[in-house]
Amino acid sequence: MSSGQQWVLVEMVQAFYEAPAYHLILEGILILWIFRLLFSKTYKLHETSKLTEKEKEELIEEWQPEPLIAPLLSKQQPSVKYDVVTGPPSHRIIVNGRECINFASFNFLGLLDHEQIKQKALASLKKYGVGTCGPRGFYGTFDVHLELESRLANFMKTEEAIIYSYGFATIASAIPAYSKRGDIIFVDEAACFSIQKGLQASRSIIKYFKHNDFDDLERLLKEQEQEDQKNPRKARVTRKFVVVEGLYINTADICPLPELVNLKYKYKLRIFLEESMSFGVLGEHGRGVTEHFGVNIDDIDLISANMENAMASIGGFCCGRSFVIDHQRLSGQGYCFSASLPPMLAAAAIEALNIMEENPDIFTVLREKCSHVHKALCGIPGLKLVGEPFSPALHLQLERGSGSRDSDMQLLRSIVDHCLEKHVALTLARYLEREERLLPPASIRMVVTAEHTEEDIQQAVRCIREAASALLK
Amino acid sequence: MNVGVAHSEVNPNTRVMNSRGIWLTYLLLTVVLHIILLSIPFFTVPLVWTLTNVIHNLVMYLFLHTVKGTPFETPDQGKARLLTHWEQMDYGVQFTSSRKFLTISPIVLHILASFYTKYDPTHFLINTCSLLSVLLPKLPQFHGVRIFGINKY
Repeated sequence: MSSGQQWVLVEMVQAFYEAPAYHLILEGILILWIFRLLFSKTYKLHETSKLTEKEKEELIEEWQPEPLIAPLLSKQQPSVKYDVVTGPPSHRIIVNGRECINFASFNFLGLLDHEQIKQKALASLKKYGVGTCGPRGFYGTFDVHLELESRLANFMKTEEAIIYSYGFATIASAIPAYSKRGDIIFVDEAACFSIQKGLQASRSIIKYFKHNDFDDLERLLKEQEQEDQKNPRKARVTRKFVVVEGLYINTADICPLPELVNLKYKYKLRIFLEESMSFGVLGEHGRGVTEHFGVNIDDIDLISANMENAMASIGGFCCGRSFVIDHQRLSGQGYCFSASLPPMLAAAAIEALNIMEENPDIFTVLREKCSHVHKALCGIPGLKLVGEPFSPALHLQLERGSGSRDSDMQLLRSIVDHCLEKHVALTLARYLEREERLLPPASIRMVVTAEHTEEDIQQAVRCIREAASALLK
Repeated sequence: MNVGVAHSEVNPNTRVMNSRGIWLTYLLLTVVLHIILLSIPFFTVPLVWTLTNVIHNLVMYLFLHTVKGTPFETPDQGKARLLTHWEQMDYGVQFTSSRKFLTISPIVLHILASFYTKYDPTHFLINTCSLLSVLLPKLPQFHGVRIFGINKY
């Protein structure tokens, strides 16, 4: 060590002796702090909320114990007593060994038992086998999946589409993929159950507006705008979504989309549109509500639909712009974590798209049938028809409910049974009654398909009229 | 944290400070910063020590106490969206070893800087202010607290 450096060190030590007292005191405190830190024990911070005695008592008072054993289901419960179907539930359905005209399956375009589709599915079955046994990221992506995605995107005239292997999980995964804690979702009260599950999974703040009442939505948006002005920094990191259905499955009416698009640009919202009921039904080419209203599809941020209704396959898809859809490939839980769609079903869906593209007349036929059925079902004494004339799934409610849901359901069930005996298969709309946000009144759900003939419709309407006049007083 | 294999953390931010070699990496980076500053001509030794201290504390403040959320796509629907890295560390458990280490290191750096700046009052003022900026947010009492709403969202 050179003498120069030694001198520096000496000088440093000298400085230490001459250091001001406040400095040394701080150093001392810091050193003590180090020792305290070294010997302090780890502990978990609790989000403490101390309850007063009174609050505790109130909570104890409020608590209602649930029975240890759930009450036995009555023998009439649909989950215990069900009708058994043998054979394809297409135009004709065999319920409990009795051949009926099918007015219950969501087979809008009559593609369920279509010969062409069956052949394509069979060819695919022979080529790929039945399942895929792996999610899309783990050797679950087959050429048919990619083909189906690009075909769907082409069909809907969007940039990209993504397919899910289960229709219910499509919107239920898509919502939480985008909307996280702290975000706000405005949603129609009558939204279907899969939307409700998606909202729950998103952990976001949910604001319901009255069904199809955009004045109510605007009121909520104005409230939110005021809130945002008070706290602009919070507003900057809060995403806002609005979730609506194209054709509502629970009410059979349509969402007035053009007004919503205006609100979207006024209040900076992102629109998620669930089109399970309207895809393959509305619009000249079956593209759904956007085509029906002539709304530019790029104004809708995300469209999700089920392939289990009009396309008569399994699964669902979302479509929209690439940068929106691509996000789901890593964030859509239903996409990432479930085995991909069986190739056979994807092939069937492609063939269904072929049929839909080759004869777009099918949509006009379906709409005519729908309005025909709507007209025929209007004015049945004792029954109230709910739904738009172009909706393929209509609800028949009791004109005067008895006040008890169970007895209403039983009454409607007896109508359904009566029709079943006359070879017309109808069904009641069923809900998880305790979990629905807004439980619709008990109803018979009547599904119109493009396959129904004039005679079928007349027979069905006659049966319902007979049953209604016999059973409803 | 496991390196090169799949981990099972919902939010890897909680455990990244416990991964093997990360303390050493941190110390080495600080030393490298100091050496780089020393190699710049015209910088005196006291100035370099104060600069090392201030830059270290600034970077620490930025990464541990300013940036919120995670760079990862977590499946917990954004639970850590409004939490700083320090608050996410070890699931919010206080006085864990990595927390102790990261609290002690700026203190040691401050003591060293005080010694090499020969207890000069100006350097002392700068160094102490910068030290407090990283020590105070680390106190359990300030966990999740945003004074005057600074950096709240």
